Amino acid sequence: MNSTLLLLPILIPLAAAVIVLGIRRFSTAAGAVALIFTALNLAVTLRLFGQEAYFTGGSAGFGIDFILRLYHFNSLILAAVAFFGFLIALYCQRFLKEKAYAGRFYVYMLASIFCVNGAVLSDNLILFLFFWEGLLITLYTMIALGRAEAYKTAIKAFIIVGVSDLCLMAGLGLTAAIAGTTTLSQIHLALTPASCAACILLIIGAIAKSGSAPFHTWIPDAAVDAPLPFMAFMPASLEKLLGIYFLIRITLDMFAVVPHSSISTLLMSVGAVTIIVAVMMALIQKDYKRLLAYHAVSQVGYMVLGIGTALPIGILGGIFHMLNNSLYKAGLFLTAGAVERQAATTDLARLGGLRRNMPVTCVCFLVTACAISGVPPFNGFFSKELVYAAALERGRIFYLAAVTGSLFTALSFLKLGHAVFFGALPQERQAAKEAPASMLLPMIVIASLCVVLGLGNKSAVEQILAPILSAGAVGHSGGHGMLVLITVAVLVIAVLSHLRQAKIQGGGLKAAAYIYQAPILATIFRWAQRRFFDPYYVVAKILRAGAWILYGCDRLVNWFSDGAVVGVARISGSVIRKAHDGNYATYVAWVLAGTALVVILFITRG
Amino acid sequence: MQANLVINVIILMALIGAGLWAIMTRSLIRSAIALALTSSVLTMVMFRFNSWLAAVFELSVCAGLISVVFISTISLTEPLSPQEVLKHMRDRLARFAFLPILILVVGFALSLLKVSYNLPLPPAALEQDARNVLWYGRELDLLGQVIILISGVFGVIILFRQMRRRS
Amino acid sequence: MVSFFILVPFLCVLLLNLPWGNLARRLALWVGLGLTAGQAAVSACALAGWIDLRAIPVSPFFKYDLALDTLSIVLLLCSALVFGVALLLSRPLVSQGEQRFNFVCLLLLMLAGTNAVALVRDVFSLYVFIEAVSIVSFILISFNKDQDAFEGAFKYIVLSSMATVLMVLSISLLVLVAGTTSFDGVRAAVAASRHAGVVLGAIGLFLCGLFIKGGLMPFHGWLPDAYTCALNPVSVCLAGIGTKAVGVYTLIRLAYFVFGIDAAVSQAFLLVGAFSIVAGSLAALNQTDYKRLLAYSSISQVGYIILGLGAGTGLGLAAAAFHFFNHAVFKTLLFVNAGALEQKTGLRDMRKLGGLSARMPLTGFSSLIGALSAAGVPPLSGFWSKLLIIIALIGAGYHGYALVAVLASVLTLAYMLAWQRNIFFGPLAAGLENIEEAGWEISGSALLLAVILIGVGIAFPLYLCKLIW
Repeated sequence: MNSTLLLLPILIPLAAAVIVLGIRRFSTAAGAVALIFTALNLAVTLRLFGQEAYFTGGSAGFGIDFILRLYHFNSLILAAVAFFGFLIALYCQRFLKEKAYAGRFYVYMLASIFCVNGAVLSDNLILFLFFWEGLLITLYTMIALGRAEAYKTAIKAFIIVGVSDLCLMAGLGLTAAIAGTTTLSQIHLALTPASCAACILLIIGAIAKSGSAPFHTWIPDAAVDAPLPFMAFMPASLEKLLGIYFLIRITLDMFAVVPHSSISTLLMSVGAVTIIVAVMMALIQKDYKRLLAYHAVSQVGYMVLGIGTALPIGILGGIFHMLNNSLYKAGLFLTAGAVERQAATTDLARLGGLRRNMPVTCVCFLVTACAISGVPPFNGFFSKELVYAAALERGRIFYLAAVTGSLFTALSFLKLGHAVFFGALPQERQAAKEAPASMLLPMIVIASLCVVLGLGNKSAVEQILAPILSAGAVGHSGGHGMLVLITVAVLVIAVLSHLRQAKIQGGGLKAAAYIYQAPILATIFRWAQRRFFDPYYVVAKILRAGAWILYGCDRLVNWFSDGAVVGVARISGSVIRKAHDGNYATYVAWVLAGTALVVILFITRG
Repeated sequence: MQANLVINVIILMALIGAGLWAIMTRSLIRSAIALALTSSVLTMVMFRFNSWLAAVFELSVCAGLISVVFISTISLTEPLSPQEVLKHMRDRLARFAFLPILILVVGFALSLLKVSYNLPLPPAALEQDARNVLWYGRELDLLGQVIILISGVFGVIILFRQMRRRS
Repeated sequence: MVSFFILVPFLCVLLLNLPWGNLARRLALWVGLGLTAGQAAVSACALAGWIDLRAIPVSPFFKYDLALDTLSIVLLLCSALVFGVALLLSRPLVSQGEQRFNFVCLLLLMLAGTNAVALVRDVFSLYVFIEAVSIVSFILISFNKDQDAFEGAFKYIVLSSMATVLMVLSISLLVLVAGTTSFDGVRAAVAASRHAGVVLGAIGLFLCGLFIKGGLMPFHGWLPDAYTCALNPVSVCLAGIGTKAVGVYTLIRLAYFVFGIDAAVSQAFLLVGAFSIVAGSLAALNQTDYKRLLAYSSISQVGYIILGLGAGTGLGLAAAAFHFFNHAVFKTLLFVNAGALEQKTGLRDMRKLGGLSARMPLTGFSSLIGALSAAGVPPLSGFWSKLLIIIALIGAGYHGYALVAVLASVLTLAYMLAWQRNIFFGPLAAGLENIEEAGWEISGSALLLAVILIGVGIAFPLYLCKLIW
């Protein structure tokens, strides 16, 4: 099937972006246009869902062909992107109402949808790269919209993602060279050393886009600096969808990554480290959005771990977790936005007891928090169980990491919920009211989808996800009884620990303090807080030191040329000038000395 | 022979004395006069060596013309006070103190180097008539000398006019 | 025909001094200008190869022992240019009629002398004409009729007489060895007994005498005073051609065509040249009197010429001759500008000047061209000659001296830009609001010289082809 319909998911956001660009000064109109077009986009992608189609446009030579390909997997991603786009647009109608940058935000948001749709649909490596890099620009501009100092974070994000995109670019070039084609769907490479290098380069690009460690450090900064809808939109959903989508394409289609291969182990290690590191950092955060941002990173670890196992069940778990995570993470960020807007702060120390003032938000938060913590029967539980099963099959250590991550996730969400919605309401937050309906609606939709996907997990996995894997051989989706028991036990431990510590410490906020105040961990946490583990920070330090050294060299050269040389010239010049005392006898003496020297030179040389 | 040698030695002593006077005297005018005297003595030496044409030239140009130029130039300059003169004397001594050392060094260097002086010397053109040489061999030099003379005349004209205007 | 270069100016002086009354007074300047223009035209044609001066028949009465080659023609051309400009300058700058007449006569005598220096083929005749030029120079320097001028002239006389002593001593030694004073005889004798101490000493003495005449460091004591104290037209012809003809041209001539370049000569040239370049530039950098700056710059530029000679190759010779020409043009140009400045402002201290480009645009522009050419900025002609000198040095294996030449050109640029910035750029200095552009004689000749610098710089390849012989 060769369908021009495939152009619509690309053209609709593009047209919308152009239109909104024209009317960006009128934020209400811009919002309305964005809402209409995202709805249209959602309708089109739902229409395309589950179909298979090709679209072949022109060719620009050099292997740059305009080929779009739609099949089961990316139709799912398209639909998800469109869904989140619509919800965020709806949410923004009120959230951005008073913001000066609202119009521009819609432009960048639509441009991002355009890029993601293009990247997901394109079946040509160069075309893919074009759309992929376009996302880098919207990422930068959206972060820069935030607070006055946001541009620093924007630059940080730009550099981190940009560097990893350079790796991706190199990987794409290498892949195309090895495969001899630039058509994505025709690339199926065995893992030779060369293609292994290409694969690793591509994986770097993919996991950096999805925000995995060690490329994640800009996300917590952006959580504070960037506009909130951006957090719910880009790191929480769009970039996860795109990054994980591409990671799966890499491991599943483009390269034959098999279990027990080194790449598989590498991916799993990255996933496990990401889970642990990010969740530990989340544990000590005292800011709503920053805490969520670390979880956005941590959850990527589960997906990478699941996909890294290269087992069908693990990949399935990864994809499922990707969808679930997008849902509940977006939902959580939206609740954060609601709290920020209504209570005017996201500092956990100054929040509390909001369950009475904002009951709907509270409920939505509880549902999504349960989902992320893996409480049955919410959706997070089921996808995590799939990942656990796969991880256990590959090695106990990975399973242990995943479960530990789960424990800390539960602990930090208990802390978060306790600090925001329970406990005593601070005096200055008495006036906080429930968020407006257009902000509540997306949260409610997301929360209910979490429940629906949890309850209907079996059919969701079998009908929506299983077709992605051509093998389709998935044994079970509920997990072993043993694993379920362990999960539940972990959750119970978390709750008990929280209750006890909350009583001891006298508040939800410090309920997890005993962990990060443990002897060795405390030091590590202190270093982490001082950014010693942030590659960007470290590299920036090194560069600054290098720049300082170069500056010193420059000063030295400058001193030499401006000071020393000029000084020597001046001093010797004045010596020469002093020597010319105007007395002819002096000059006669010079002449005599010079003549003697020359004559001696002549006679000795001859 | 003996008388000749005595006369030669006397003349050379006079030459050295006149030269020393020219260098060491405090007054510029006297120095210029001493210079003229040196030239005159040199003329005598040339006469004694049968170079009468050179002698005439030496007497006319060096002792005569150049001295006139010197003296007229010097007479235009401001005389120095005695203290200044004394200072300049000391100054000059200090400046040329290195000269004896230099001469010693150069002489020592030359003696060390075993410079060869034994050259096949061509016979000097003594037998040629001086007038012949001057007019047929060195006519260009004559032209040069005439140019020098004329410029000297211009110099005297200019400087004397200057003096007349001053007085 | 060749002897006319000497005889015509000489006879002109004689004719002008016949009792013509007022007519000669009025005509003298124009006669001189016509003479220099004619010489410039003839020598330029000869340089371009359009006429062959040696082929024109003359009566045997005027046939002296003279010879002409490209090097001589370069000197003839330069002297015609510089003396023409000096004559032109004397119209506004030597105001009194009687004085101007004497001045013109002296310049014509000097022209005859320099032309003779360019043409003679005899060591003793060379000495005689060097002296002739020097004596005219003494008188011209003291022309200014004040204390400073006499002092400058006196220093020149003292050091010049030392040079005379050295040269005469050298000539007598050479006569002892060669029995003749003609270039050919001396060359043969020197070649025959190359390593005899007497010959080597004679060569060394002669070169030292010429170093004094050419004002190379450390033989230069007379030069800054003489250049600075003299009248501006005198400075122009001294700096442009006078001392270069008697000191530098003669060095080229004797070293390359009579004595021959060997290791010792080369070494002496390189040492003296490099020392002159560096010390001259450094001294120029610290001057506040702009004429003195130009005087030291002259020492440094002559150092370049000598350094090129020291390479000892044909290219070195060509480069030295080219730089000789360029130096004659741009140093004349800069001294013409100095004359304009001194006439209009009456100041010689650069610290009191500034921003004069606004008031004297032609002078400012031509001075910029001259300064950049002196500093060796492409595409002006000074760049090419310095480049050739450096290439010649590298080709001859003197890398260290090539480096000195390159680095010192930075110093040159520094003091030339200091000259330009302090006098012409920046805000107009106080008290200079009513300055006007100099008269047509001065600014016209400055423009002519600037055009020559630009034109030669652009047409350089052609010139190089002509110069390689």
